[in-house]
Amino acid sequence: MSAEAISTVEKAKPASEPLFSKKNRKLINNPLDADNPITVQVLGVCSALAVTVKLIPTLYMCISVTLVVALSNLLISLMRKVIPSRIRIIVQLLVVASLVAVVDQMLQAYAYDVSKQLSVFVGLIITNCIVMGRLEAFALANKPWPSVLDGIGNGLGYSMILIIVAFFRELLGSGSLFGYKVLGENYLGNGVLMSPVGACIALGLLIWAQRARNGYTEEA
Amino acid sequence: MENLLNIFVRSIFIDNMIFAYFLGMCSYLAVSKKITTAIGLGMAVTFVLLMTVPLNWLAYNYIVKEGALTWLNNLGVSKEFADFSKVDLEVLKFIIFIAVVAAFVQLTEMAVEKLSPALYTALGIFLPLIAVNCSILGAALFLPGKEFTFGESAVYGLGSGLGWFLAVVALAAVREKLSYSDVPKPLRGLGITFITVGLMAFAFLSFSGFKLPFGN
Amino acid sequence: MSKLNKNSNGYIFGFALLVILFCGILLSAVSGALSEKQKTERELERKKFILKSALGTAIDGKDKLAISELYDKIVEEKVLNGDGSVNPDVKVTEVNLRKEYKKLDNKTGLLPKGTEISLPIYLVKNEQSGDVEYYVMPMYGFGLWDNIWGYIALKSDLNTVEGVVFDHKGETPGLGARITEEKVQSRYKGKQIFDQSHSLVSVVMQKGEGNDYASDPHSVDGMSGATLTGKGVNIMLDNYMKLYQPYMESKMKKD
Repeated sequence: MSAEAISTVEKAKPASEPLFSKKNRKLINNPLDADNPITVQVLGVCSALAVTVKLIPTLYMCISVTLVVALSNLLISLMRKVIPSRIRIIVQLLVVASLVAVVDQMLQAYAYDVSKQLSVFVGLIITNCIVMGRLEAFALANKPWPSVLDGIGNGLGYSMILIIVAFFRELLGSGSLFGYKVLGENYLGNGVLMSPVGACIALGLLIWAQRARNGYTEEA
Repeated sequence: MENLLNIFVRSIFIDNMIFAYFLGMCSYLAVSKKITTAIGLGMAVTFVLLMTVPLNWLAYNYIVKEGALTWLNNLGVSKEFADFSKVDLEVLKFIIFIAVVAAFVQLTEMAVEKLSPALYTALGIFLPLIAVNCSILGAALFLPGKEFTFGESAVYGLGSGLGWFLAVVALAAVREKLSYSDVPKPLRGLGITFITVGLMAFAFLSFSGFKLPFGN
Repeated sequence: MSKLNKNSNGYIFGFALLVILFCGILLSAVSGALSEKQKTERELERKKFILKSALGTAIDGKDKLAISELYDKIVEEKVLNGDGSVNPDVKVTEVNLRKEYKKLDNKTGLLPKGTEISLPIYLVKNEQSGDVEYYVMPMYGFGLWDNIWGYIALKSDLNTVEGVVFDHKGETPGLGARITEEKVQSRYKGKQIFDQSHSLVSVVMQKGEGNDYASDPHSVDGMSGATLTGKGVNIMLDNYMKLYQPYMESKMKKD
């Protein structure tokens, strides 16, 4: 079932413009599947598990993370030639932390309910390994535009997994989607799926489905 | 005293950083293949949590919180010049917390390298990993909601660290045994590890029913 | 011009200073621009909770502006002292519920003798006649994991519960967190906090779920799997009804 969901998301490719050369398109497409930050690179797992109880907060989280990755990639890429390597990490953390603080302030002002539900996990975007990982692995060595695309790609790859996990957790856990009851008033909900346990197992099964499809295996 | 014991036990078993909040999962999954490395990283996380949680407590209560800078007025900065009891730096809390953590990790790494090369080879290689371990920043971000005293924050840091240590060593032990079993190919590695963590979290859920006999 | 040495201490220091300055300015600008909006959002949530407890589903679907306008029109805010007298010098927005809650003795739940406390109360009036229809009182307490809070609306007899609203910080999703569900909250409607001899008994959420308490005005059905959260709610309700008791009694004597 989830493999189907993955392939539908994949079709939603961005429209080809001159700026989206073949190489640049790859930057967005690869993280969606073959190089997915969560299921393949194993980055940014904490929030994938913690915020996926309901779809609406999950969506806000996805937008926040994508924004932060893209913007911090852009800023660090712009600075890549002038950053002294000795304080590289601290500068990166500072930039990311400021962006996250801005996002947090925006959420508190324009989506107060959601910001309450996400609580500390907005702040934890700072240490989301996707952000730091992309800065180190990509933005420090590439021009601004590809860095932005790389950021967006990884943000979307992260979002895709989160949304799939949240979809199943909300549907089976509380019988609703986006807060609307879809499984009828008599569906009592499933506490396990709403608890952290369900998140882990759902993610494990999702990885199984994805890898069975694309043939990726690792030596355990 | 009762209260401290309560915080200690809760932060290890009930509010376990891994099983209840999933904080620090990246390094948790990456280093849990062998027990020896798991012990190394677990000890490093425990140490850093024990030290940075109280440090961040100080930073929060004397710099960040609304009115936290009042001590500057008490020290003799005149109120006409700047009334610090109204200053609220909550917006800077992310930056300040992460700066405290990063600076502490950097200093520790340098100190350990100079003072004890043996300890450096055992722990030092894990230290750079720790600055971006969510559990460290997570523990700091939980502080404003918890209203601890300084001592309680230290106990909370230690307990959270030990909880993380316990979780990572336990998972490593399971994974060492797991390598002998016949797991379906696509499920190998990450997939089965997540399911294992889920089942372990299930076991830890059973702690949540206990009302601790001490404090509230 | 010679190339700057990127590893000189001066360069590193200068660079760090620039970045810090930039981040600082960015953040203070953002927080300055948004702080008013954040404050109104928090205010709005309070107003919504208060109206929700008194008027129930009638306010569902209303947008923010409508809620705010309705609130300003029909709600009168007051702050009480511990003895039930009105304190005209304090506004409800100046009262920090959490701080006031901390003043209670954590064993008995009572206010220690000689301690001052500020208790906000909201009088919800009939839109046409202007008579007070409901008294809404905030509550604060501790559930299984973390703080819980809410509002209770009493009818003008200061005895019958019109509605309650609960919220929480960290109760277990699917179990204790159900206190935020309308299905659970609606169980309080019509219950009574005083018994026939006018002594305070509060309303108690019972253990177990699916039992009928229609004939018992002081009990409501529980939430299965969340007995401890229910206990927290009971203690909270009992504590705050005791705190507001002097005010309620003085009111009832007058009538």
